[in-house]
Amino acid sequence: MRIRSLDYHLIIITASILFAIGFICLFGIAYYNYADAADSFWTQTVKYTDYINLMNSLVYPFLVALLVTLGICIPKRIVPDRLLVKVSIIIFAITAVLAVISGIQTSLGFILAVMMGIQTAVLLLTIKKSASVRFEFREFSAKVGSSLLHLGVVVFIFDFVNLYEQSIHIPVFWLSTLLIIGGIVMSFYPMNFKIGSYKRN
Amino acid sequence: MLSDYIAARETARSIGAPIMTYIFIVSLIIAALSVFYLTKRDEKFGKYLNRLIYIDTLLFVLGFLALIWFHLKIYQTVVIEYPEFLRYYLPVTQARFAVPLWIENEKMYFWTLCISLFTSFVSFKYGCSREKPILPFLGIMLALFGIIIFFFTNPFDHPLPIVDREISSWYAALASGHPDIIAQTSMQLYGRITYYYNSTYMWTHPPMLFIAYASLAVTFAACVLMLFNGSRELDKIAYSYAKVGYIFLTAGMLIGYPWAVEAWKDQPWWWDPKINGAIMMWLLYSAYLHTRIYIRKGRMWHTTALIGIGCFVSLIFTYLLTYLMPGIHSVVQP
Repeated sequence: MRIRSLDYHLIIITASILFAIGFICLFGIAYYNYADAADSFWTQTVKYTDYINLMNSLVYPFLVALLVTLGICIPKRIVPDRLLVKVSIIIFAITAVLAVISGIQTSLGFILAVMMGIQTAVLLLTIKKSASVRFEFREFSAKVGSSLLHLGVVVFIFDFVNLYEQSIHIPVFWLSTLLIIGGIVMSFYPMNFKIGSYKRN
Repeated sequence: MLSDYIAARETARSIGAPIMTYIFIVSLIIAALSVFYLTKRDEKFGKYLNRLIYIDTLLFVLGFLALIWFHLKIYQTVVIEYPEFLRYYLPVTQARFAVPLWIENEKMYFWTLCISLFTSFVSFKYGCSREKPILPFLGIMLALFGIIIFFFTNPFDHPLPIVDREISSWYAALASGHPDIIAQTSMQLYGRITYYYNSTYMWTHPPMLFIAYASLAVTFAACVLMLFNGSRELDKIAYSYAKVGYIFLTAGMLIGYPWAVEAWKDQPWWWDPKINGAIMMWLLYSAYLHTRIYIRKGRMWHTTALIGIGCFVSLIFTYLLTYLMPGIHSVVQP
């Protein structure tokens, strides 16, 4: 499959997953409203914990699906097309094995850690202007922005999945926020930086 | 002093009332001109519409300046001196209300002010043209918001009713001289002032969202018109405002998280309807930006325009959730 066609399909899949999570949120609104109508103090009972668990369990599969698309999106920058599928299969196979042996949190932690490693490498190679990193656009700041954004999203999910109970949860949250916002701004408003000056495209 | 506060409140009302009346009249004329332009396509209407949008924006800015003055007066005149016997429980001896300009009945005013500013930018950059009839469409939206504010959420009609109730309760507690009532009121006000009014998050999270909402209103207008003519120019307008909106929306939403953790601690806020709605809206805008990458492929422009419209519907829905559904963000909470 050509990389451009793969990109197109990844975008359609990503948009579909985003829609699916959106529908779960809509379901959550209806559920909350219905539960509150039945008992206005339900948030102080075990029913609220059940609701939280239900919402988490509904969102988790789509979050994993989103990670799978990210898992293909992220390595595609530095892994050749012919190896991309093999690398992705290996990563997801290890993730699946870990899910069975150590639980979903550890397996998600593993895949997120791998992605953080790859995305950090992508970012560093992009900053070094390495030819081995491939993007669909030419502007340097857009490439850096895309790398920052993807890294930020992975760090953000990792923070919530694996560091939620830790004291560094909020500092890591702010780090991911900076990466995401910086990444979005640089992606949306790309500029070609030159020494001492810059040129708008 | 209570009398100074009451005088400031009355002055704000007397300054704001005529401004709101002018906004209402101008809104009606803008709506009429927009409809005339869309139906008759007479350039004369477009020219007047351009001017009236600037006038409307100017009126909104003037009203906003009046609100800033009133909020400044609240800060200067109302001082909460916590009684001696509470110093052991409270880390401060006194507090002032630094009331943000986007709460209670000022929310919609601030949002509409932002829409009017963005509409003025559109007017300045694109004007009123047959190829891109976005300005009359935005004019109708702006007029609708102006009319709703005038009738339902006029910030000068009863300025900040909840803040006013809290300030009045403080002075009433002081006047009663009863230590229990003073203690209870002090503790309530301490929480409200520290974690709500004076919170840094309150000064950053909501305004960022309202700026995003206003920018995304332009995206909505462009997407609706795009459905009819598939114009590439309209897509560019939709995208340029979606970018601004998405940056503010993402930043605003993320800033809300540490605030919720700090202010709500053990309260049940996760998967609250407003949070569900906000996540849904953000996901839809993310989907819009994703599909837009391939807008030139087949009928993707059509799908993207539909998603853009759906995004704004979810935005309005999320905004209204505060007033319609229960939850920690809700104003209908018993």
